[in-house]
Order: sequence, then structure tokens, then C-alpha cells
Amino acid sequence: MSAGPFDVKTIVLARHAQHVVLIHFPIALFIVGVMFDLLAQWTGRRSLADVAYCNFLVAAISTVPVLITGILAWQYALEGQRLKGILLDHLVLGCVSTVIIWLVWWIHFRSRRDRQVLTLFRIPLELLGVAAVALTGHLGGFLSGVNGAG
Amino acid sequence: MIRKFAGLRIRCFTVMFGLLLFGGFFTQSPIRAQQSTAAATVTIDNFSFAPATLTVSPGTTVAWTNRDDIPHTVVSTDDPKAFKSKVLDTDEKFSFTFTKPGTFSYFCSVHPKMTGTVIVR
Repeated sequence: MSAGPFDVKTIVLARHAQHVVLIHFPIALFIVGVMFDLLAQWTGRRSLADVAYCNFLVAAISTVPVLITGILAWQYALEGQRLKGILLDHLVLGCVSTVIIWLVWWIHFRSRRDRQVLTLFRIPLELLGVAAVALTGHLGGFLSGVNGAG
Repeated sequence: MIRKFAGLRIRCFTVMFGLLLFGGFFTQSPIRAQQSTAAATVTIDNFSFAPATLTVSPGTTVAWTNRDDIPHTVVSTDDPKAFKSKVLDTDEKFSFTFTKPGTFSYFCSVHPKMTGTVIVR
């Protein structure tokens, strides 16, 4: 119990530490995906758009274990009690972020499937997603002690 | 006459002694009551319990107050759990009265690195 969340033993034994580790995958993949998509939009290079799509796909998939472990953490560590304050904000923003990540992936997927040009309205949605992900991660950092003195 | 005064003096002493004993009993009882409802506090701040180890006598009520910006919990490590708080937001309190002697370890279930101990003896 005294080991940190990145210790293998803690990952296996501590019932909520997995969420703290797994959350970094969708955060990084989505933000990098948006970055590549903006570059693809700016330069018009197809390869950058492909990289962005792959990032969005894996980011969307990785939200599934993150959501599961987050809900498990809520059930195990707090025994599913009614959330409030930062914990509730983190949960709501996490769900909003997940929906946006899947929506962004779906917009890209549909465009590739139908061989259509990507609409520009995706850009504000992607930026909104980055903001939501960043805020969720920021609150999560506070909760875990990474952004605080802990 | 002298004997009568002596008897009166003895009676006065006896009554005074009795009153002293009686008064002593009543002045003692609030102290006893105070001991049985003794209180101790633990402050949660900066991702730690302060004091981390607290020694109290049986019957003491320990109150934990969260002075941190982050929600915390107070959960005993034993099974079945002797005490368990809800999520404590900033400035919220949780109290538990320790009736039995022993060593009670606890932690914050949100941040398992935060640990503390209450020794009751």
C-alpha cells in the first residue's frame, strides 16, 4: 500500500491504481491525434491524416478500460457512495471527454468510409475535446495527488 | 460542661469531614465524566494525517477534520472495519469513539499512501 501507482505490485494489488496508469493512454493519444489532424489540415498531407485517425482510434478504444477502472475505483475505494465536489466533476468531465473522443473518431471514420472530405466543424469539436480531456486530467491529478503536495 | 463541648466538637468535625467527603465526591465526578468523553483531533492536510500516530485512553472520541483541498476518507485497515468515513470534502469532519484498547491503523481509501494509527491504552 505504501508503493506508488506505477509500482507493478500496486498495479496488481491496489484496486484503483490501474485507472491512474491507464488514463494516460487516451489523454496522450487524443491530444497527439488532434495535433496531427491540425497538421494534416494545414499541410494537406494524407499520411498525417492517417496518423491522426490511428491515434483517434486507439484513444477511443483505450477509453473503455479507463472508464471501467474508473468506475471500479469508485466502487472499490469509495464503495459507490454518492459523489460530490471534485470527484463528481471528474466523473462528469471524464464521461464528456469519452463521448467527444468517440465522436471525433466516428467523424473521421465516416469520412474515410464514405470517401468524403472532412468537414471543418470537427476542429472546434477536437479542441473542445482537448480542453475537456485536459480539465479531466487536471482534476484527476489533484485527486491522485500528482497536481498537489502529495 | 467541658464534656458537652467536646461532644459537640466531635460532632462538628464528623459533619465537616462528611461534608468534605461528599463535596470531594461531587467535585471528582465531573473530572471522571470529562475523562470518559475525552476528545482528540486529527487534521488531514497536505495528503497526510497529523498526528500520524495518536495515543488516547479508552472512551476517547477522535475527530478527523479535512483541511485539504482534496477529498479524503478515513478507513480502518482491519476486517471487519472498525470505522469508515464517507468522502470528506474540505472542512468536513468524521468522529469515532474508541471504546476498546488496541492499535487501530487506518488509511485514506482515495490515497492509500496516506496512513495513520490510533493507539488506545
